[in-house]
Amino acid sequence: MLPLSLLRTAQNHPMLVELKNGETYNGHLVSCDNWMNINLREVICTSRDGDKFWRMPECYIRGSTIKYLRIPDEVIDMVKEETAIKNRGRDNKGAKSQRGRPATRGNFGRGGGKTGNIGGRNLAQKTKQK
Amino acid sequence: MNRPELEGTAHLLDELDKKLIVVLRDGRTLIGYLRSVDQFANLVLHKTIERIHVGKEFGDIPRGVFIVRGENVVLLGEIDAQKEANLPLRQVTVDDILDAQRREQESKQDQQRLLTKALKERGLNLMPDLTHDDMF
Repeated sequence: MLPLSLLRTAQNHPMLVELKNGETYNGHLVSCDNWMNINLREVICTSRDGDKFWRMPECYIRGSTIKYLRIPDEVIDMVKEETAIKNRGRDNKGAKSQRGRPATRGNFGRGGGKTGNIGGRNLAQKTKQK
Repeated sequence: MNRPELEGTAHLLDELDKKLIVVLRDGRTLIGYLRSVDQFANLVLHKTIERIHVGKEFGDIPRGVFIVRGENVVLLGEIDAQKEANLPLRQVTVDDILDAQRREQESKQDQQRLLTKALKERGLNLMPDLTHDDMF
């Protein structure tokens, strides 16, 4: 799970974002992109020294200004569950494809042949039309 | 980890799930388990603490899960569990270490003021950048 994927998973969760200049933004993550640009909702901004506060309904933060993000513990637990489910799926698939590999190959070959046949038939039809 | 394509290159993948110390450009020290990295050295730290050192004392503040943007990282180091057990440092409470840190910062600022004043008397107008919190 890449850091940015984890961030995507953290959508709709509360988080703390600290910028390089030391300001912190507390809010719920609405969306993020591959550049770590983020949208927050219900934000409380705190000055560098922690002595001034601003509330705002929403804000956009450019990714390149971010120092770090702190996210709730349960987001990592969500990821763990997801990867566990995915792995189970992958194991099953792996087992199936191993068992079914000759069949798959056969299908592939046959499939190829079929398309060939279709092409041939079409060609034949075309030639008939001619 | 067997990654022949990465032979001889520095990479972080070997450090996954190990307990690491991370020093940021602002001088802060984080200690946590590395769960993920990407090509920008963005990091995911789990069960993170922030460790504050003042002299021979230190204090830990639990911080949880971090996504650190790679460009702010100065240093990563693996923590040796055995050596960690007998540090030549003394752990104190969070309140105590924060107090000590504040005192240290104040004394540094006093020092800076004295220096500026002394230099000014000698005809040098040094303008210390007080907003500068970047150590590196």
